[in-house]
Amino acid sequence: MSSPVERTLCVWCPDWPVVVARRADPTLADRPVVVLERGAGGLVVRAASSEARADRVRLGLRRREAEARCPGLSVVEADPAAEARAFEAAAGVTEPITPGVVLERPGVLSFPTRGPSRYFGGDEPLARTVLDALAEIGLLDARVGVADGPFAARLAARRAAPGSVHVVAPGDTPAFLAPWPVAVLDAAGTLPALLGRLGLAYLGDFAALPAASVLTRFGHPGARLHRLARGLDEHSAPPAPPPPELVETCELDPPATRVDEAAFAAKGLADRLLGRLEALGLACTQVVVEAETEHGERLTRSWRHEGALTPAALVTRVRWQLDGWLGNAGDRDEDDATGGLVLVRLAPEQVVPATGRQLGFWGGDAAAGDRADRALARLQAMEGPDTVVTLVPRGGRIPTERVREVPWGEPRDAAAGPETSSWPGAVPGPPPARIYEARLPASLLDAAGEPVIVSGRGEASAAPARLISDALGDVEIVAWAGPWPQDVRWWDRVGRRRRALWQLVTRVGETDVACLVVVEARRVGIEALYD
Amino acid sequence: MALAALPARDPASRARLAEVSERARPVVLARDRALVLPGPLGDVLGGLVRGSVVALDGPPGAGVTSVALALCAAATAAGEWAAAVDLDGTLSGEAAAAAGVTLERFAVVRRVPPARWATATAVLLDGVSLVVADVPPRARPDEARRLVARARERGVVLVPLVGPGARWPATATQRVHVEGGSWPGLGSGHGLLTPRAPQVRVVGQGAAARERLGVLAS
Repeated sequence: MSSPVERTLCVWCPDWPVVVARRADPTLADRPVVVLERGAGGLVVRAASSEARADRVRLGLRRREAEARCPGLSVVEADPAAEARAFEAAAGVTEPITPGVVLERPGVLSFPTRGPSRYFGGDEPLARTVLDALAEIGLLDARVGVADGPFAARLAARRAAPGSVHVVAPGDTPAFLAPWPVAVLDAAGTLPALLGRLGLAYLGDFAALPAASVLTRFGHPGARLHRLARGLDEHSAPPAPPPPELVETCELDPPATRVDEAAFAAKGLADRLLGRLEALGLACTQVVVEAETEHGERLTRSWRHEGALTPAALVTRVRWQLDGWLGNAGDRDEDDATGGLVLVRLAPEQVVPATGRQLGFWGGDAAAGDRADRALARLQAMEGPDTVVTLVPRGGRIPTERVREVPWGEPRDAAAGPETSSWPGAVPGPPPARIYEARLPASLLDAAGEPVIVSGRGEASAAPARLISDALGDVEIVAWAGPWPQDVRWWDRVGRRRRALWQLVTRVGETDVACLVVVEARRVGIEALYD
Repeated sequence: MALAALPARDPASRARLAEVSERARPVVLARDRALVLPGPLGDVLGGLVRGSVVALDGPPGAGVTSVALALCAAATAAGEWAAAVDLDGTLSGEAAAAAGVTLERFAVVRRVPPARWATATAVLLDGVSLVVADVPPRARPDEARRLVARARERGVVLVPLVGPGARWPATATQRVHVEGGSWPGLGSGHGLLTPRAPQVRVVGQGAAARERLGVLAS
């Protein structure tokens, strides 16, 4: 049932973003450096130098926390295009050794060793040759791992010392994988954490489960990881070469000399290619990016992706690659394009049956979602991305704080945790339907016509009787509760807010109108209307 | 079922049966093209017929927004997409969630300049099944008429929210006047607001012109 695993060599340049940042700015050498990336929750650490890691700076930390742990930390923002451009040189020197070089991401490349290994007299001499080639272009701390399958080869490269090789003998891969923690399977996914809670801490424990049980309990994604843990190929059926008519080509006239021109054309290509694959029920795991220049040169490079390529992931990879070829005028390599690109071609190299995506039960749902997405994206293009938002509830005491606006298309990242369900100090009762962030100015009077004052201890000078505002006019208060003092963020000198809230029901004409009135710094305003 | 039960060797009778079933098939009824409204909202408004316009108006604080959110909740609960044009950026997401709106399928368009209000609403009519739109004061009749036509063409329910000082200068299938009601739960210096049900008066058009009164008990 499972296909034989292809013996693979993997080259890993650790902390590649840091290496690139240090090349761009030599003063960063030997100093703690982190490279930040804008994630869903703000700027987080994407790569850290060994000096920074010694101070317990971990990947995924927020910027402020990383700076607190490591004084004197230099912070650089990630530039994926520059990383891809720099790694193109490594791919260039590996290519004379074997034609089948596949890039996985900037910093990691792999290729099957069957042919080259026989030519160079074994895995070890082949790996040495690769390391020597990389050392010539200044990559002294690259590591090489050889094992059965790309996943195990990547881990073998992690086991290797800087500038050396770790070879897992043929057939030893399951034993080599067994002691690794399950988190190496999929750092971003939720399954490794779940396995950890189930008491399966190591790949060996996970691999010992029966495959059928894993498939029934965790579905296709789980089965894929289970195959990886057992040292098998990640796809149960061998990835087949796709039919040749799936190649998508786009001619560029006039020739594209700038990356964004070519990338714009490539975006349409990527969408078309994946759309056609999807119609055939296929997903793409490896794609060849090909370009021709006006001088007749032909550049090709293949990119591999764990799981299946999404349109966004494919476009990023194509963009990286075009960036590597077109490059900047400053850092031209000999294998860069010498002229503008006249043709870009995307050819899927390996396709697998698409199992990960399930369409809506009634069929129409996915289409309706696409239609809505298109319309909302058009509106964003017209009015700006922040105009169209989706709302995500979150915790907070002030009504304006209790909802986060996320621009449409960005991850909602709804952590529907306990913090949204109960929040001591928030206004109880039904939530008001209209919230005025800039409060509507008003004045609150008692029965004698004097302004109602709330003292620092939260005591009112008198019972409120009338509310005067532009929005509602001069109205009588028929019922009220409060004042409820709110001391928000008392620990924060700048963000601290002391306020008092009244919940009022006023009589406007024939109907009752309920509102929240806030007193803050002696100013009274209507903050919310129960509409 | 009847077709499947016939022997496969008998193509002539199969074809005849298919022809009969084609002739006997009913036309699509208006109520089949409607979004079902659950609970008391459905008793008062009936269903939301796709392509119709339901104008909501009422004084501030009467409950116009709550009724609009209840309509959005019914649409998103049925798996449809909904969107709101929120001119002054005051619509509360918490209230939307409390009304039962599925926020993943609910987009809010915030702070659009009133001059481009109609364009933004027209784009939304292309994409989602229910559009709630604040109507700015002095909305132009030609723009409103174009929106009504577009909603009918796309089969989208358009819900203009007509606040004080504004009016909906075009036709509407149903006009819902939200009249509010009393707020229970609060006393003089004690108590807490409890959810209430706003009272509405519905005026239909044409055959449905009979006025209906109802309370949207929650």
